[in-house]
Amino acid sequence: MKAGKQLWRTFGPVLVAVLAALALFATPWRGLKISSQTVKEAAVSLSNNVYRGEKIKDVAVKDNYVPFIGSSELSRMDALHPSVLAAKYQRGYQTLLLGGPGSQSLNHYFTIQEMRTQLRNKKIVYVISPQWFTPQGQRADAFGYYYSALQAADWLLQAKNTKADRYAAKRLLTMPSGTSSLLIETATKKIAAGRPLLMVEKLMLTQKQIILKNEDALFSTIDLDNNWQHIQNEAKKLPATDNNKLLDQVATTQARQETKDNQFDIKDSFFKKELRGGRRLPRLKDSQTRFDYRRSPEYADFQLVLQQLAALNCQVEFVLPPINQRWVDYTGLNMTMWRQTTKKIKQQLTSQGFTNIDDLSEDGNQSYYMEDTIHIGWRGWLRMDQSVKPFLTKQQAQPDYQINDYYLSQAWQQKIVK
Amino acid sequence: MPVINLQPYSSPSYFLILLLGLLPIMIGLYHGKRFRVYETIFSLAFLVLTFGGDHWQQGVALIIYIVYQFILTICYVHYRKQKNQTNIFVGAVLLAILPLTVVKFTPLLANGKITLGFLGISYLTFKTVQVIMEVRDGTIKDFDWKLYLHFLLFFPTISSGPIDRYRRFKKDYETIPDRAGYLEDLEKAVHYLFLGFFYKFILGYLFGTLWLPPLQHWALMQRHAFGGLGLSWALLGYMYDYSMYLFFDFAGYSLFAIAISYFMGIKTPPNFNKPFAAGNIKEFWNRWHMTLSFWFRDFIFMRFTFWFMKKRWLKNRIRISQIAYLVNFLIMGFWHGLTWYYIVYGIFHACAIIINDIWLRYKKKHQDQIPSNKFTKGFSVFLTFNVVCFSFLIFSGILDKLWFM
Amino acid sequence: MTDTEKVVAILNDLTGEDLSNKLDENIFENGLLDSMATVQLLLDLEDKFDVDVPVSEFDRNEWNTPNKIVAKVASLK
Repeated sequence: MKAGKQLWRTFGPVLVAVLAALALFATPWRGLKISSQTVKEAAVSLSNNVYRGEKIKDVAVKDNYVPFIGSSELSRMDALHPSVLAAKYQRGYQTLLLGGPGSQSLNHYFTIQEMRTQLRNKKIVYVISPQWFTPQGQRADAFGYYYSALQAADWLLQAKNTKADRYAAKRLLTMPSGTSSLLIETATKKIAAGRPLLMVEKLMLTQKQIILKNEDALFSTIDLDNNWQHIQNEAKKLPATDNNKLLDQVATTQARQETKDNQFDIKDSFFKKELRGGRRLPRLKDSQTRFDYRRSPEYADFQLVLQQLAALNCQVEFVLPPINQRWVDYTGLNMTMWRQTTKKIKQQLTSQGFTNIDDLSEDGNQSYYMEDTIHIGWRGWLRMDQSVKPFLTKQQAQPDYQINDYYLSQAWQQKIVK
Repeated sequence: MPVINLQPYSSPSYFLILLLGLLPIMIGLYHGKRFRVYETIFSLAFLVLTFGGDHWQQGVALIIYIVYQFILTICYVHYRKQKNQTNIFVGAVLLAILPLTVVKFTPLLANGKITLGFLGISYLTFKTVQVIMEVRDGTIKDFDWKLYLHFLLFFPTISSGPIDRYRRFKKDYETIPDRAGYLEDLEKAVHYLFLGFFYKFILGYLFGTLWLPPLQHWALMQRHAFGGLGLSWALLGYMYDYSMYLFFDFAGYSLFAIAISYFMGIKTPPNFNKPFAAGNIKEFWNRWHMTLSFWFRDFIFMRFTFWFMKKRWLKNRIRISQIAYLVNFLIMGFWHGLTWYYIVYGIFHACAIIINDIWLRYKKKHQDQIPSNKFTKGFSVFLTFNVVCFSFLIFSGILDKLWFM
Repeated sequence: MTDTEKVVAILNDLTGEDLSNKLDENIFENGLLDSMATVQLLLDLEDKFDVDVPVSEFDRNEWNTPNKIVAKVASLK
């Protein structure tokens, strides 16, 4: 049996490798336990693997982390950033930051639905950017960056023949990333058409989900940005007691130190880098007069988030951030349009029972509310904390949501609320 | 109906299906038999998987292409049995290249809106041209049309090579290895397969998927650097990273094709042999994309010089070789595609090899004065590596994005 | 002159080395012959032996020593 022996020598290792790979990825074992230190770092890392993944989010929410969902403002980590305040003072919660530049409602919808088991009856802070609500809505490339097949597989396996699910499926199909896998595309097309998935499709999706979950559990903690260190450094600048007056002093001092170069009270580093120390300014003069956030597919995407949050019975605080008034004046953004936008967003919220709204949209002229052109910072974070802190630390009334599918309609997307 | 399409060597499921399909062939060869009917069906099935589904236009193009080349070759073989005129031969070669030329030109004419052709057309053209040339030379006499189709449509190498030769392929196909020999082949196949995994899916992933996009982004952000030339450290990083990516991705792919061929008892020739260890450009081309450069050597360079010298158009052998290098690499540049950077890439390599030849002649003359030691050898490898990486920077097309977009 | 002597004379001319005692030396592996010289070799063989040697006939493994070249030429005559 010399030949047999040689065959074994050739193919034995292959067999072992295949079996090991199957054991590692294709069986539902969910990876190793994640340490609390890793969760701490991951929760503020703003890493896309955390956002798109599942395991870390689940562990964090179970561990009293509150999702702070938003976009690029979350990365403005000065001393008054919600994560720094939560790290410094014993408030009974920590922040789980979800979102980055370009992530909008549609991505958030898929991310939230992925966490549905853990998020039921929990509290969430959701920072809305009116800048999401452009005539084109979610950009496909940005969506692709924040989208994961795991989110899609999770979603498809629970999707029902509702208006919201059919709408979400249609949206997913307009994104190139949503059609990158044949299985997911086929299944999404069925959901969009209101047809049930076949048993075999469900089985294949479940198998895919198992592999993706293992991948997520094994690899999503690799290469986290080390914001945690930065947050601890910022926390050292804060007073020992959680006192608003003292915090305001810290905010003002820090802001004053970092905004010396320009007339907009924009953080110097941002001014230097993004505005080339002012060299880009002439081009931007009156560049935003035609910006319009009142008609957008984003309103329907946002509705997907709302109906999901309502279904999970979450208590949500919505924040409408301010916009740098001096920048508005310079770029010529239409404030009537701005007010009609926030009014439309608020109408969509309040009419369906989402009443925790911290509307700062008119506060853009307050000193040091904004870290740069559209991103909240320093005193703005602190002002936001005035509503966030009681919302998260005190018992809230049971919400009573009445979801209305009208907000998914084309009519609502294109309606101007005056 | 779900659309089925599998891109070659791209996913675990492809490999799994492939190995399952190969199993009967392997068992057959192990027992000294080649199941030709099964092999044909299996090959066709994989061609359908590659060129079916939403790639069906490619499948149609492939079929038209094969029928065309088949008729052309049969006609030429038939003609060659009676006569051997040079203009008919040149006509046959031009007709064999025609489809590729059309495919490469249409995107330019139609602003990239129309794409004819299919995955692998460039590689198939090498095979068809080669057969016509050898028929002309009389080295292919007993033309077997079934084997010819099998040779053209040999699916492990259809999309990106390595480029095999008809006579070599024929020999492997017709002689079944003995058991000990086949067991050795299998061992090599498994080794190549796993080396390919390591190259393409680990190193290729690191260099190509993880590091290349940020480097490219960073390099393109600095388009105004260095007086508008965009030369930056990021571009340098991109150059090295791209070169590594190109090698590991392509070498990995070639290894898969070779491994699958070996499982089928066909010893497809290697495509890479430690190219970055080359001590000069000439040696580099003996180690990099070998089946391509050997094809060019045998069917362009040598034929061109042979013809040039036979006609005695030029006495100076050095001058002839220099012209031949330029022709050789220009054609290679055009073959890669009709963009300025592929053509410049070709000219760059022609110049590099001409300069290298001048240096080698100079070195031979002054052997006693020029030192040759570990240091000079190391330096020549280093220099060659950098020249090659720079040529890949041209090849990558990033300069086009940097300067003209 | 025998065939072997003729072939060796051609090769000596091309490589600039004396190969009369190295009839089994691999002339490609040690870099004595490059593609250019190979073409010259084929032309010289055509000239001196009056045989037709097409480029495709030329397989490096079958032409890599002086002795093998002699045998090839004999078979082509």
